[in-house]
Parts: sequence; structure tokens; C-alpha cells
Amino acid sequence: MTQSNRLNQGGRIDRSRRLSFTFNGQQYTGFAGDTLASALLANGVDIVNRSFKYSRPRGITAAGPEEPNAIVQLGASEAAQVPNVRATQQALYDGLVARGTNGWPNVQRDVMSWVGKLGGSFMPPGFYYKTFMAPASMWMTYEKFIRKGAGLGRAPTEADPDIYDHFNQHCDVLVIGAGPAGLAAALSAARAGARVILCDEQEEMGGSLLDSRESIDGAPASAWAEQVVAELGGLANVTLLPRTTANGYHDHNFVTLHERRTEHLADTAAGAGREGEVRARLHRVRAGRVVLASGSHERPLVYANNDVPGNLVAGAVSVYIRRYGVVPGQRLVLSTNNDHAYRAALDWQEAGREVVAVVDSRAKPDGDLVKQARDAGIRVITGSAVMEATGSQRVSGAKVVAIDTERFVVTGKVETLECDTIASSGGYSPVVHLASHTGKRPQWRDDLLGFVPGEVKGMHVAGGAHGVYALGETLTDGADVGAEAARAAGFEEAAAIAVPEVAVRQESPTSALYQIPHEKPPLRAPKQFVDLQNDVTAAAVELATREGFESIEHVKRYTALGFGTDQGKLGNINGMAIAARCLNRSIPEVGTTVFRPNYTPVSFGAIVGRHCRDLFDPERYTALHQWHVENGAEFEDVGQWKRPWYFPRRVNGKRETMHEAVARECLAVRRGVGILDASTLGKIDIQGPDAREFLGRVYTNKWAKLAPGRVRYGLMCKDDGMLMDDGTTSCLAENHFLMTTTTGGAAGVLEWLELWHQTEWPELQVYFNSVTDHWATMTVTGPDARKLMSEVTDIDLDREQFKFMDWKEGKVAGVPARVFRISFTGELAFEINVQANYAMHVWKALFAHGEKYDLTPYGTETMHVLRAEKGLIIAGQDTDGSVTPEDLGMHWAVGYDKPFSWIGQRALTRPDTAREDRKQLVGLKPKDPKVVLEEGAQIVLDPEQKIPMTMMGHVTSSYYSPVLESGFALAVLKGGRNRMGETVYLPMSDGSVHQAEVVSTVFIDPKGERQNV
Amino acid sequence: MSEARSEASVGNAATFDTHPGADAGVTPESPLQWSRVQGRVTEEGGAAEQIRVIERPFLGHLVLRGGAITLDEAVRAELGVSLPGKPLGLVLDAEGSRSVQWVSPDEWLVIVPAGEEFELENRLRARLGDAHFAIVNVGGGQTLLELSGEKARELLMKSVTYDVHEHGLPVGKAVGTVFAKTSVVLRRPSEERFELVVRRSFADYCVRWLRDAGREYGLRVESASP
Repeated sequence: MTQSNRLNQGGRIDRSRRLSFTFNGQQYTGFAGDTLASALLANGVDIVNRSFKYSRPRGITAAGPEEPNAIVQLGASEAAQVPNVRATQQALYDGLVARGTNGWPNVQRDVMSWVGKLGGSFMPPGFYYKTFMAPASMWMTYEKFIRKGAGLGRAPTEADPDIYDHFNQHCDVLVIGAGPAGLAAALSAARAGARVILCDEQEEMGGSLLDSRESIDGAPASAWAEQVVAELGGLANVTLLPRTTANGYHDHNFVTLHERRTEHLADTAAGAGREGEVRARLHRVRAGRVVLASGSHERPLVYANNDVPGNLVAGAVSVYIRRYGVVPGQRLVLSTNNDHAYRAALDWQEAGREVVAVVDSRAKPDGDLVKQARDAGIRVITGSAVMEATGSQRVSGAKVVAIDTERFVVTGKVETLECDTIASSGGYSPVVHLASHTGKRPQWRDDLLGFVPGEVKGMHVAGGAHGVYALGETLTDGADVGAEAARAAGFEEAAAIAVPEVAVRQESPTSALYQIPHEKPPLRAPKQFVDLQNDVTAAAVELATREGFESIEHVKRYTALGFGTDQGKLGNINGMAIAARCLNRSIPEVGTTVFRPNYTPVSFGAIVGRHCRDLFDPERYTALHQWHVENGAEFEDVGQWKRPWYFPRRVNGKRETMHEAVARECLAVRRGVGILDASTLGKIDIQGPDAREFLGRVYTNKWAKLAPGRVRYGLMCKDDGMLMDDGTTSCLAENHFLMTTTTGGAAGVLEWLELWHQTEWPELQVYFNSVTDHWATMTVTGPDARKLMSEVTDIDLDREQFKFMDWKEGKVAGVPARVFRISFTGELAFEINVQANYAMHVWKALFAHGEKYDLTPYGTETMHVLRAEKGLIIAGQDTDGSVTPEDLGMHWAVGYDKPFSWIGQRALTRPDTAREDRKQLVGLKPKDPKVVLEEGAQIVLDPEQKIPMTMMGHVTSSYYSPVLESGFALAVLKGGRNRMGETVYLPMSDGSVHQAEVVSTVFIDPKGERQNV
Repeated sequence: MSEARSEASVGNAATFDTHPGADAGVTPESPLQWSRVQGRVTEEGGAAEQIRVIERPFLGHLVLRGGAITLDEAVRAELGVSLPGKPLGLVLDAEGSRSVQWVSPDEWLVIVPAGEEFELENRLRARLGDAHFAIVNVGGGQTLLELSGEKARELLMKSVTYDVHEHGLPVGKAVGTVFAKTSVVLRRPSEERFELVVRRSFADYCVRWLRDAGREYGLRVESASP
């Protein structure tokens, strides 16, 4: 197919580099420098999509991120699929494959179109709410069909082959937008020495300068842009980011930029010959000052059938002609309310195509461009507007009529002009989206007929973004604002650059015009679209106001105006103006909705960056990790730690199940000796003359008399009296303690200590430091533990010399160690602490000596069973923030008579914490020994009671005990301590009911003799 | 050695020489041991990479807590350098092998060559006497990674949230910062290099992250012998 709309010369494309691409299954060619949109227009492709709700044919309307129709699904392979790409923003590359996202099965013949034609009047705003409200159960079914019909792209079903990453950027001045204002601002700031980041969403920096008719210093405007970009590129303090959209403006000048690094070359980095390179990068910029030079979007006018392919915004016509050498039609009618749009007609005529007429709503336009058009012989119809487009697949004519904008009526006879293209311009809307992300509402300016950004701390606005449109003024403004931003960032000497010469143009004022009145009343006239992407019409906005939706936020939600990826770029102001007219209010009274990040869609890959697959979350390893892996451990995640869960062996050629392995490990500890890597326990070094006093205040029990060399178990409560963490603390010296915490609680406990020290008791002389990673901890436990230890240590292990709850210092396997006689298994146990770098040596030595005792490594599962058999709790498993030490039966660990108050004391003296019927920790023994109760199972007293049953508590820990040869559990039960020996019931979801006897929490060795040997 | 230990334990705080001594025949393993086994640390060779990461394992790491004036005198006397005069400051001795880093208003990190830390702790304790202070040996819990090469800054921009530009992190500055999904201490001891102090349990994650982030520039991770 030939490029029928391509000019032989002009534009910033490279005609020597021909690129072939496929759109909706058809092959086309374009040139390097094209966007997908310009290439489609060059090839005369009118229909690129079907509309969202009415399934009407749609063509390309704009040339930038504001494009509402040309939303495509990109990608040649399944894995490379990208939904919702704007054809106007996608650089053309060889082999590009795209299709319109809407239209089922295709855009040319769309089975949904009957819905649009027949159903149009049946689909008023709020249609979905009204129609599919009931029955609620059917919504899932409706939704599938609505989605399929509505389209809006689909995610790939295969894994993305590309990689994405994040960059943390810092700068003095971030300039958003590299049009005339942005370039001038960046240059002012950069020359002052500020660190500048200049980002621009387009392939090429320069913005409106690239399609301007004007001259700068006597040369084409684009030449000045090239020269400034070159200068900036040569400065070490400037970072240029083309193809980079500022998508989110967050608090404190934190701005997220989405840079597309290979998407302009191919659909994957590998396809572009850049295997392994980053496809898109999210820059997280913390900027001293932000210069918002985002320019403006031209507003289309709202007239009947303004969505038929061939209707474009006027500026886009100029962009396609001047930047891409493409004239998107043969015969043009331009409908405008301002001077600037006349350039579309002039460009069109100079391209050798016919301008049928310029229809100007103003009575007496006489600016320079108007004169130029008249001089060029173009017919100018004043006081009028295009009321309606004719044609269905493509514009075939424009119905033009004189209008009275004050009374909103047509006043003359309708004249139909034959044409295939209608360009419209209703003025310009500053791009306020980013400024509005911070929550600051845009402000209406009557003189500009547009909203300008609200005041954001640390932000400066330049150029079109606050309504400075004339080129010369824009350059001056940008230069001044750039210098101002640099000064504000601390570069006090910053001065505006000398601005080049630009001829001043006389313009006649723009008139306020949004919706064009029609012969028929608005609700009867053919559809006048306000928001093309969401298929919102002027009638819908009017209907919404009639139905009582007066707040613009309600109108938005009721009609979908400005929803989704569009974010109201073309339609919002028109929609508000229509709502204002219907409500008989002014636009500022109606106000605007708030725009949200992201400005344009960001790929999930860029949001995720490298935080995926094996880098998704940190994995913390102990010093013994390698041994665990090499010895076949299965791992359990405990927080971010990888802890051995159990160590399955091969028995008779078969790998043990978890149940078998855990049973073997449990018995080894109860009958021989086992070893656990307990390095993950939190460890906090506490030093200072008031360390002891501090411990007394944060633990429930007493610490005043704990002697050096002794260890004590402690309970820590929150100020509500509920258990927060537990662990042992050892007295290393008079003013020196080592506290242990649960694995998961380590960081939280340290913060808790610091919080109370810094805010409540700063007078106490004490310091806390984490030593969790410094020490590796190995627990050797079981009846044979002493025998094994005696072979590797110089410490006197005599039971009278080294008692339960003592700690000693010595060498283990030649390595200096602190050994603690504490037990979480109920067996004789030695907990060995060595500096982590020596841990592997010690561990291996223990195994070398332990072979004859069948030293058995065990993991967290066995640890859980062993401790539960002894009724030892795990904070966070047997407690849930509503359990007091008393509830756990640990009143022995609460020092009510301590001289100074301690955290939780007040709460524990409330009547509520003294209630007899609180949930208390008990043991449960299933009547059927084969049953292992489900953790979380609810306990009831009467299994026959009708639902809702009276729930008395729940199971907190439950395992099978190979020693008891039975299941057993810990549970919290209302008034549990007074229910010993009672039978309780546990109804299961499958209808079965388990029975269990309430017993003591200690299942093995109730007197605690085994750990004291 | 065991005599020195028990003697030092007599005071109000217990000190502890964690090292078995050279003649004990004990081989230490650095926090990057598992990374090495996984092939993430190359001992030698390699083409001209743009970034080098070198682990300096087994150094002595001490945390000092206390008032600046009290500690400064003792540190100057025993280490020959003053405490950093400013928050986020990092000072090195003349050799560049001993450093003191500001961590918080009452906290400093001292890094000294392997094996020096226990003696230094004892000398500082003796000099500080009854003052309120704390010295904590944390050498087993962290390791030092040195970063150099022309793309080291870009590598850090991908990894840490702090401003690593000359303006944000000049020579002589050290900060705690977010590193991917963990945190590290980031130091700028000289023009040519950055340093990361990483926690033992996160060390492999940090190296994995660095290798991944450095792939586009070419990166080699090595471990220096003590």
C-alpha cells in the first residue's frame, strides 16, 4: 500500500529509511521518525478503533498523549503484548505489530456495533449501575461480556522477557517538558550550575518548536531547539531524559518519571538487538525545585458527530504536516474560536491541499494569522461554527451555521460544506495534571479560559502550563522561571538566559466556546462527544445534571467523564463547561475534578523494577546456611529468614515425609541429642548502670537480683497489658545484659526499648545495640548433650557448677563461646553463642564428635512440637495481642510488687484483665489419639447447639507427638483453667466434630526434671 | 588469651575476645561464604569491568555509644583520630585503614584491621573508666564491601535512595540508607571508592542485587584476603 497522504518533502522524518509494520493484520510502510499514528495517517487508515460503549468507528484525533481513540495493543509475540499504547506516542519501528484494542472481532466489522446503534439510546449514563444492579450474583457474568465488548486491551499471558529497573535521582531543578519554556528554563538553571534533569515524553525534545511556523533569531524554531538541546547535552550537570514521561507528582517534590529505553526500537529489548538491556526505567526523582513546563492541550469543540474519523484537533493537523510530512485528508474545514488554530489551515494549504473554509465563532477576527489566511485566499466564515459532521466511516461534510453563544442557539441557515477533514479548536487548556496530583486544585482564569495549576510548594510553572502561549513570551517566561527555580535551589547568582528574537504576532482575543448549539435540542441532536475515550456525550453530562448530580465529582463518576487512562485530557474542561451551562453556574463555581497519577499508563514492569523473581524479597541466611542446604533441609520462611524446617533423610531408598522426619527428630532429642540452628533469635546487647532498672520496667518480672552468670526468662507486655514478646535475658556483668527476642520480634523489640528510653525515661543511663547477626547460636539438646559437649569444650559442665539457667564462657571446638543452659525443649540443653564467622567450624566439629551419639539436626517444626509438649508458648502463635501473662498461667513471671511501675502494670490491674472467664491457655488432648486438631479450630461446649454456636476459644498450636503417640494441642479457652478434665468439642467445616479433653499445658515431664539433669 | 578475657570481664561490662587465635587452626567464613559457593564471588580474573566490588572481610567493627566529648578524648588517644566533627561524618587515620563514622548523636562505628578490635575495646574501656558509655563488638554481624569503577555511582543510584552525587555524598560522609528492600551503611572514604557496610544475614541479598544491577555495566565481585 502506498503512503497516499505523505508529502514528498518536509517533516522531521527520514525518507531513506523505510519501515514496514502491521496494523490490524494489514501490512503498511512508514519512515524512520514516524509515530505509529503518523504512519497510519500517511497510509490513509481512517478507522483505528471502535468506541468503548457505542462501538462507533474512531480515527486518530490528536498527536500526543491526549489522543483518546488510537489506543492499540502492541506486540508481535504473545510475551511482548502491551495494552493501551497510544499510537500517537509510539515510535514506529520495523516489524511493529499492533491492533486496535476495541472491536470484537475486528474494527471494520464489529458485532458490537448493533449495541451502539440500537442500544445507544438505551445506554444512558449510569447504564451499568441501573441495568446490572440485580441480581448481584449475575454481575460476574455481565461483567465478562461487557469487558469483552468494551476491550481496552489485554495483558500478555506469557512471562515478560524484558527487564525493568528503578533509578533514584536527585537534582536541584527538575524541568518537566522540553518545549520552548522548558528548554529556556533548563538552560537558565544549568548555566547557573544547578543540577538539572530535563525530561520530555516525546521521541525528540523541542515540543511545539518542532512544528512551529515561527522563526527564532531568523531561523526555524526547531533549529533553536536543536542548538539548546546540544548545549544542555554537553553539560555535566544536566541529565537529559527523552522518551520520559513525568507520570506522578508526589509530596515534597518527589516525582516519578517513566523512561522508555527500547520501546522505540522493537517490542522487546532482544528484538532491538539490545538483549539484557532495560526496557523501561522508573526514575524516582527527589527534586529541590520543579519547573512545570508541560505546555497545553488544545481543546476540541463539541459538535454533533465530532467523533467520526476525519475529525481532528487543529494543532494535530499542523503537527502531522510539519513534523511528519503527512496531510491527513484532501479537503479541510477548520472550526475555531481563536487565532492560533489558523496555522492548521495555512499549513494545509501550503501542503497543496484544499482548505474549504475556516469557520470562526468570533464576529470580527482580525489577527495576523487571520489576515494571512484571508490573503492566501482562504474563505473565512465568521460568527459561525461547525454544528455537525456528516459521514459515518469518514467525514463527508461539515454543517456550518451561525450561532449565538450567549443564548446557546443557532441563528442562521445551515450550510453544508463538502470536506473529508474537520479540524476544530476551542482554545487551550494548560496541562495541570501533574500539579493536581499533589492535591492542589487548579484555578480558573477567565482571561485564559482555562485552569492553571494551583500553588504547589517548591514548584514553578513556565510557559503554556500557566497560559503563556505566544512564543516570544514563552521563551522569556521559561528563562525567568528557570533562573528563579535555580535561585530558590540555592544558586543565588542564577540569571535568566538572554532570550532570542521572535517576531510578535497580533492576535484577536479568543471567545469562550465549548459546545456548539445544534438545531435540535441537545438531548435529541446527534451525539456530541465530550470524552471520546469513555464515550461520554454532552447529552450525558446534561442528563447527569438533571438527575441531580450537581457536584462535578459526581458528574464524573456518573458519566465516566475523564476516567481511566484518559484522565480527561481533551474532554474535562468541555465537560465542566457543559455542566456549568446546564446548572447555570460559572465554570469556577462548578470547579474541576482532581487528576490522579499516572498521567499516562505505566507498565507494571517499570513499577516493579528489579524487585521480582529471586530479588522479590530479601532472603536472610544464617552462617550455617550452606550446611543446611547441603544436608537436604527443607526451609521455612520466618520473617525474611530462611530457617531449616526439617531435615528429611533417605530411609530404604525413600525420602522421609515431613511427618516421618519430624517424628524421628523429636525422638532423637528426647532420647539422644539433637542440634538446632537458633541464630535467627533476636539478640540485643544492653549496657549501662541503669540497664537492670530498665529491664525491670519493660519486663513484667523482676531483674534487680539477677546475678552475673545467670539467665532469666522474661515476658514483655505492651502498655495494654497484653503479651508482646518473650525471651531470655542473661546478666553478663553487673551493668551488662544480653536480651534475646523472638526471631520475628527482634527489630520491633529494639525499637520498643528505644522508644521508651528516648521518650519516657531518657534519664536512665543505658544503651541498646542489636547483635543478632554478630552471634551464631546453636542449641545442643537431649539426654546426651552433656556427653557431646564435654568432648568439645573446656567449660566445666558439672551439673552443680553449671546449673540450669546459668551461662558460662569458654571455648567450644577451639572457638571462644558463651554457653547458656537454657532449654526450649524441656531437655538438657546448651545454647552455644560464637562469633558468626566461626560458626561453621564449631557446627562441623560438633557433628564430627556427635556422630557416635547420632547427633540429629532438627528444624523449626520439631522445635515447635518439642516446646509445645512442654507447654512453652510462642509469642505471636499462642498469643495474638489479646492475651495477658495471667491468661497464659504465668503469674509467676509478673512482679506486681516491683518498686517502680512497669509497662502493662496499670492495664493488668483493670477488672477486665482479672475476669475469671477470660480465654486462658490450656492443653487439649483429642479423644481419638490419631486426630491432630486444626490450628484455629473453634471450641464449643455444646456440639448440638444451633448456629451461631457459642464459641469458647480456639486451638493455637497443634501437633502429633511421637512420644505421646497422640495428637495434642494448646488452645485458649474461656475460663479454661477451671475446666480441667472437661470435654470440649471442635466442629469442623466438613461437618465432623472432634472431642478433646481439657488438660494441663505441660504434656511431658510436668516437674521439669529432664532439663535439670 | 583466656586470662585476658577473664580479666576484662571483671568490670561492670563483660568484654569478650571472639577470636580463637591464629594457632587454633580455625578457618573463619565471611558473610559472603554462601554467595561464593553460589558462584556470585569471583576470586580472580575477568575482563575489564566498569565496576569492582571487593569484600573486606573479618575487619574489626565496634559500635561506640556515649557523649561525643567523652568519647572523642579516648578515641583520639587510642586511635589517633578525632570523632567526626559533624553529623554523617567519616574520618580515617593516616593509613586509611582505621575509621570512625558518625551514626547518630550518641553513636559511632569504628572499623579497624582484623583482630585489633578487642585490644582497642579494652584500651578504650580503661581510658573511659566510669563514664557512661557502651562499646559493642559487632564484627561477626557485618561486612564491608568496597565499590569502585566509573559506573559505581550509577550502580548505587539503582540501589540506594540517598543522593550519591558529589553534592549529596562528598568524601568524608557516611549515611544509613535504604538499599533495595533492606538497608545499608553507605560511606565515601575517598574519591575513588564507596563503601557499603552490610549486615551478615542480608549480605548475599545485597551481592545478588549488586550483580544484577551492575550487569549492564559489567561488574565483578571479589573478596580480599584478610
